[in-house]
Amino acid sequence: MEAGTVVARPVPPHAAAAYPGTKPRSGILKWLLTSDHKLIGVMYLWLAFFFFSIAGAFAMVMRAQLSAPGLHVLRPEVYNQLMSLHGTFMVFFFTIPIMAGIANYVVPIQLGARDMAFPRLNAVSFWLLVPAGLLMLSSLFLHGGSAAAGWTSYPPLTDRQFSPGPGVDLWILGLHLAGASSILGGINFVVTILNLRAPGMTMFKMPMFCWTVLVTQTIILFATPVLAGALTMALTDRMFGTSFFHPAAGGDPVLWQHLFWFYSHPAVYIMVLPGMGMISQILPAFSGKRLFGYKGMVLATAGIGFIGYLVWGHHMFATGIDYRLRQFFSFASMVIAVPTGIKIWSWLATIWGGSLRFRTPMLFAVGFIALFIIGGITGIWLALVPFDIQVHDTYFVVAHLHYVLFGGSLMAIMAGIYYWFPKISGKLYNEFWGKVHFWLTFIGMNLTFMPMHMMGMLGMPRRIYTYRPEFASWNHVASAGAAVLGVGMTIFAVNMLWSLGRGKRAPVDPWTHSAETRTLEWTVSSPPPAENFHTIPVIR
Amino acid sequence: MKNRKGWALFLIVGLSVAAALIASPAGAWLLHPVTPVARDVRSLFYKAVAITAFFFIVAEGLLLVAVLRFRAKPGVPAATWHENLRLELVWTAIPTLAMVVLSGPAFSTMKYMETIPKSDVQIEVVGHQWFWEYRYPKYGVIFANEPLVVPAGKIISANVTSIDVVHSWFVPDFGIKMDANPGRINHVWFQVDHPGTFEGQCAELCGVLHGKMFITVNVVTPEEFERWIEQKKKGV
Repeated sequence: MEAGTVVARPVPPHAAAAYPGTKPRSGILKWLLTSDHKLIGVMYLWLAFFFFSIAGAFAMVMRAQLSAPGLHVLRPEVYNQLMSLHGTFMVFFFTIPIMAGIANYVVPIQLGARDMAFPRLNAVSFWLLVPAGLLMLSSLFLHGGSAAAGWTSYPPLTDRQFSPGPGVDLWILGLHLAGASSILGGINFVVTILNLRAPGMTMFKMPMFCWTVLVTQTIILFATPVLAGALTMALTDRMFGTSFFHPAAGGDPVLWQHLFWFYSHPAVYIMVLPGMGMISQILPAFSGKRLFGYKGMVLATAGIGFIGYLVWGHHMFATGIDYRLRQFFSFASMVIAVPTGIKIWSWLATIWGGSLRFRTPMLFAVGFIALFIIGGITGIWLALVPFDIQVHDTYFVVAHLHYVLFGGSLMAIMAGIYYWFPKISGKLYNEFWGKVHFWLTFIGMNLTFMPMHMMGMLGMPRRIYTYRPEFASWNHVASAGAAVLGVGMTIFAVNMLWSLGRGKRAPVDPWTHSAETRTLEWTVSSPPPAENFHTIPVIR
Repeated sequence: MKNRKGWALFLIVGLSVAAALIASPAGAWLLHPVTPVARDVRSLFYKAVAITAFFFIVAEGLLLVAVLRFRAKPGVPAATWHENLRLELVWTAIPTLAMVVLSGPAFSTMKYMETIPKSDVQIEVVGHQWFWEYRYPKYGVIFANEPLVVPAGKIISANVTSIDVVHSWFVPDFGIKMDANPGRINHVWFQVDHPGTFEGQCAELCGVLHGKMFITVNVVTPEEFERWIEQKKKGV
């Protein structure tokens, strides 16, 4: 939104020589051999949505099993596998990669760069993700099935003694590859953002989305290696008889919980910060008004990123860790509400007094705010140790995390996809069906996850394949809501696929941004030309 | 325009009523505390709801008003302001203050839960895939797969551990949840007001039949408890 006037500047003489790979390839080779950030970004989107449809289908089957007590849609061991893969895929193979995919496409253009800093590394990041997801998925068809210990995979349940099949090994291997992909991507994004900004684009002139990507990728760089270490320990425990997590030989299963959450709590911010960046771009675009409190937003983003490292223990309040430690983690978790609040207030101030146009991206952006507030508030409640102990590992937590990751991340992703779809595909999607998708998602989301708060407070634990009859009524509602979500997502898929083929041609700026809210990607054709800019823009 | 304002008002009032419903009386159908700890947890929950409801109503209310009031209208340009340091300081300071205030009752309740008073009955709870084993060391009684029996009004302390994977001993009405970690012993206490039967179940994913790892606690009068434990000692 800080992009000033684009000033033509001649292409430096060496530029053409520096990009010898620009001769157009066609067919499958164009995709397989590319190091173009836009093509890689698009492949990320396809892959992420492929995994999303699988993990979403798992959720549908789970809700069918849970629609009434005592059903036999799934055997218990299969339920546990689908439940574990649903979580793992939504986190590692949908939300994180799709954020990387959108960032891959958009960030270099917003910066005024021709590509990422390391284009080949970028391709490696993407291609690591393909075997990662497929390996993990394939374990479903092997003897013993996939990993079934939840996306958190607490040992000793994941030890060979209790999970003898190859499922957990493939789970570890898949996450190792996905983690390597993340780390390489992190290096690439940080270097790109720090070094490839167009002349005149100082850090504080960068669009907010680039800031959130920078903070996110920094979090990835520091947190993911810890997960990789923990995974290696789990693997050697299983394969080579070490005992990092074996109590009988002096190890401690609680160590895994610390290491896992040291990554996985920051991972929540990895999943939600880029979404916040998209919202910070979409709200101004459809309000005709600059983002309120840009510098405060940057500070809040950095603050969330930093404090996010200090709160992992709030996942372990019922583990029996020391009282003083819990007190620290509790307060640090409450403090995160402050920078998060700054973001919410700033978004509200952004649209206040604006001239709001409710196209589909804007609907999802407003829906994001409405739902994220709820997830944030239940997050404050959960930071209070005694209340957390009451509802820890119950459906209350499932409700909370879906308000943050579905109501937060997914709504933002949808806003972003609708917003950039014309730019990426060069086609316009169908606005009517986009709005239908929004309303079905918004209503279905609340129908599905609001009742889970009640279930949890009544005492229904999460991760159970069937439940006592007293929880039945809320579960009926949740399953009905899931069906609404399923219909909405199907409409989304059909609308997007149809529009890809038959949609109207998109102009340079289909959203008619005001001069103050237009970022650089809306100054080039849809889709942008190879290497994005004929002449590198200069920002004033 | 007037109509819209009416709607906004209606929605704000509706939201406030909803928030109020989630608070005091409604908590009663979600949480049914029968121990002092669980009652404290519920009153902490009420305080948290009361404090956060303010922010919830203000934020969702402003969002609604903005959405209704600032729809694009021909000839009405968007405002151009985008900064206000004083406003930003206010919305940083007030939530910070609210969090500090909220941490008070949270920490004191935590301290209360954490400090195990001198107990009348000591038990040991051992998680297995997929059942619970209970031991009364003082009486030499050990059994599994049966309801736990404890006397009402007495302070019970429990040492919780596991023989295989991580489990979690969870009885919602007691306000208690304690992980059963292999190789570690966790401590927890409770004091149930009145006799009755209370249901719970394992709260940490522990394998295929995690969903069927139930907990039943029969709380009986102290006299009944004495009779029951004597019978158990004889191996009945």
